[in-house]
Amino acid sequence: MAIETIDTPRQLATVRSAARKVLLNGHPRISVGTATCGLATGAQKVLDALYACRAELQLGQSPIPISISETGCNGACFLEPLVDVVLPGQARITYGNVQPEDAAGLIEAACAGTVYGKRIIGRIDKEEFLVEGTSRNYRRGKLADEVKEVPRYAALPFFRDQVHLAMRNCGIIDPTSLDEYIAKGGYAAAAKALTEMTPDQVVDEVTRSGLRGRGGGGFPTGRKWATCRKAPGEPKFVICNADEGDPGAYMDRSVIEGDPHSVIEGMIIGSYAVGAHIGYIYVRQEYPLAVKRIRLALKQAEEAGLLGENIFCSGHSFTIRINRGAGAFVCGESTALMASLEGRVGEPRAKYIHTVEHGLWNMPSCLNNVETWNNVPVVIARGADWYASIGTQGSKGTKVFSLVGKANRVGLVEVPMGITLRQVVEDIGGGVPEGESLKAVQTGGPSGGCIPAELFDTPVDYESLTALGSMMGSGGMIVMDSRTCMVDVARYFLSFLKEESCGKCVPCREGTSRMLQILTRICEGKGRAGDIDLLHDIAQGMIDGSLCALGGSAPNPVLSTLKYFAEEYRAHIEERRCPAKVCRALITYSINPEVCTGCMLCLRACPVKAITGERKKPHIIDKLACTKCGLCADTCRSNAIEVA
Amino acid sequence: MLDGLQVEGRAGETVLSVARRRRVSIPTLCHHEAVSPSGACRLCVVEVFWGKRSKIVTSCIYTPYENDRIETNNDRVRSVRRFVLELLAARCPGVDQIRELALEYGVDMPRFEPDKDARNERCILCGLCVRVCDEVVGQHAIAFAGRGMERRVTSPFAEQAEECIGCAACVFVCPTGALHFEDVDGRRLMKELHTEVPMVACRECGLPYTSAKQIEKVKSRLRLSDEAAALCPPCRARAFGGRVERILAKDRKAAFPWEQSASFAFESAEALSGK
Repeated sequence: MAIETIDTPRQLATVRSAARKVLLNGHPRISVGTATCGLATGAQKVLDALYACRAELQLGQSPIPISISETGCNGACFLEPLVDVVLPGQARITYGNVQPEDAAGLIEAACAGTVYGKRIIGRIDKEEFLVEGTSRNYRRGKLADEVKEVPRYAALPFFRDQVHLAMRNCGIIDPTSLDEYIAKGGYAAAAKALTEMTPDQVVDEVTRSGLRGRGGGGFPTGRKWATCRKAPGEPKFVICNADEGDPGAYMDRSVIEGDPHSVIEGMIIGSYAVGAHIGYIYVRQEYPLAVKRIRLALKQAEEAGLLGENIFCSGHSFTIRINRGAGAFVCGESTALMASLEGRVGEPRAKYIHTVEHGLWNMPSCLNNVETWNNVPVVIARGADWYASIGTQGSKGTKVFSLVGKANRVGLVEVPMGITLRQVVEDIGGGVPEGESLKAVQTGGPSGGCIPAELFDTPVDYESLTALGSMMGSGGMIVMDSRTCMVDVARYFLSFLKEESCGKCVPCREGTSRMLQILTRICEGKGRAGDIDLLHDIAQGMIDGSLCALGGSAPNPVLSTLKYFAEEYRAHIEERRCPAKVCRALITYSINPEVCTGCMLCLRACPVKAITGERKKPHIIDKLACTKCGLCADTCRSNAIEVA
Repeated sequence: MLDGLQVEGRAGETVLSVARRRRVSIPTLCHHEAVSPSGACRLCVVEVFWGKRSKIVTSCIYTPYENDRIETNNDRVRSVRRFVLELLAARCPGVDQIRELALEYGVDMPRFEPDKDARNERCILCGLCVRVCDEVVGQHAIAFAGRGMERRVTSPFAEQAEECIGCAACVFVCPTGALHFEDVDGRRLMKELHTEVPMVACRECGLPYTSAKQIEKVKSRLRLSDEAAALCPPCRARAFGGRVERILAKDRKAAFPWEQSASFAFESAEALSGK
């Protein structure tokens, strides 16, 4: 559909009501979650199968038009590929782990206005218009019995405690459609800010909302904007940091893939507030789909006149450019990011003069992360008071976490600030697999820390996590169970940080390397008596001495594990023992002859032929040849492989 | 307040500069007046206090505000310096300058396992060479490559640096003697930088004294007559009796606001030619 230009709030309203009619047009609508997580599990095949089935159906006599579209991820990555079907007059039904074979059945059921019998996850009764604070029931008349039987989202443990603000449109709208974004109330906040509010009022609203930077530091967004607004110098810049690099964290990717216009709208509002006319989105090249989606969204917004000269006839002009990061973790640091934007090597500089005053090309620059920008339209549309009513005293609103690791239900979860870690990990994430016990959760990415299970009643907010020696960070949450060795975890994160240290300053470059050296020898059973003290000394030196936050927070994985899991370090160093049975140098594999059935599976699985034996007789592992890869234990059906 | 004394600095002046004027010693490795500060070596750290809060900052970059209270040599500051020196001493055990500084801060033996080829490592990656080449010489012939422990100073793609004029300012500014040059058979060899530059001989005495590219560079910046440029400094002194040097000195001041930096590049050339 050709995009009309939208020059006034009134025109926006016209487009909105037209688009909303299409959205609620009474046709069955099928949407497939094709964010990266969906695609990785085969969503493209499901989508293709659905198209094929529909084409077949339309060749025949079927009178019912069905719309099929792509959508982002609603967070339930463990259920991908996800397919949503809106049954007109009934409800929105979500199906999970859908396979291409289900396509025909899904289409048939959708045409018949009924529920496909398999793979049902839950139902949503209302189309929410979050930025407006309204909703529309799908139901017209009586709800069919089979629909009634589908559990509501509110009854599903994964969704029950979640509040989707940032992910308001993710998994709901078609991210390639500007109309659908507008239909959900999109760009209304920008229209309101630009035509009804002064820049100072916008800054004030954001300040009062208590919104804090979602990228890790948690700096109050309103205060940042106010400083940037006051800073002398022209031109000013607004920048979106989409260089998400923490291992296991992918909320920014998902937001861009599922709802790119929300970020653009936030940046329009921000540019108006601080007085900038040029914006940059620094997105990593490793997110090809996100780059594609944001690029398309920019094009659409430009064509619609939502970016460019005189937006909403307000006199405010703003354009956005995309810069792709080449994959350096440190470029997520604001000064390094700006250096990279300027075309220089992405290395940080001392921040004694803040980037809001002297940033990109030495000009006042307001940098926020994807999720922060995405929250801005909600703040403006619903008002600071409403926004501030969610969350805790010091941390307002919601936060998206990527819950990964050993949890039963992994995915993106958006929860109000102040919810406890236990609720996130156990209620939403469903705890760890049976037979294992929950051990710790690692928050805040590589610079965060590990929080032990005993402290899971801690509320999730900026201050509480920092007090525990971890941090909110960008929102990675890696669940660890009894099979995880905490020394090994610290070693892993340090190896990541050592690789990613830019090497400019001595404490970070040499310090991460020395820490890794020590952790590696502990994991290899060569730990020395003074190693723990030495780790503490290096950590302190790095915290005090490093140039940027990467080095300053790099010791966190070590310090937090030393603090909460000192016993494990001691076992490694003094007893040459890895209690979690992970560190290869400290464990041996053997076969329990009582249990072994002699099935020869392990024998065939062993890549180094370290297992010998005859059929139906207990096998034996040659401990000298064994590389401790664990493949035998994975293949054994009778649990005869023992690790000690 | 600097170490308990009320001091005044010029607007925009760094702590290091104020301290040096007042003869307060702060060690540095990556700092040089001729080039912009980098804050990479972290040796010049000081602690700045605002009321009860305090922070470690690098004195080569930090420009104090009124009422900042700065301590240049307290326990916390010394422990950061000791840590940095311990790391550097482990990286470059063969560098005497580092070892002496480390001893001063009580680091006898670094507590880290020595690296395999640490004996030969002399570069501490302070980046002075790169900055001198960029900012003073203006050639951008060398740069950092790699990240983290892989970081090193090198020519583009570790091949002959086309931009290098062979002035050797990088060699002279290096605090640890990690870079070298050697004049052999009318060519200046810079082996760490994978580069060699042909030299020209003095018209008078016939000894090679600098490279053709460097003469061009100098002439493009200063009013230097062809006759003067064609002579090595000793011969020039004989021929012009110091007149040229005075003109040069004047020109340097006029041509560059950072007088010292210009003279710096020049001195390096002169020092070379003296050999």
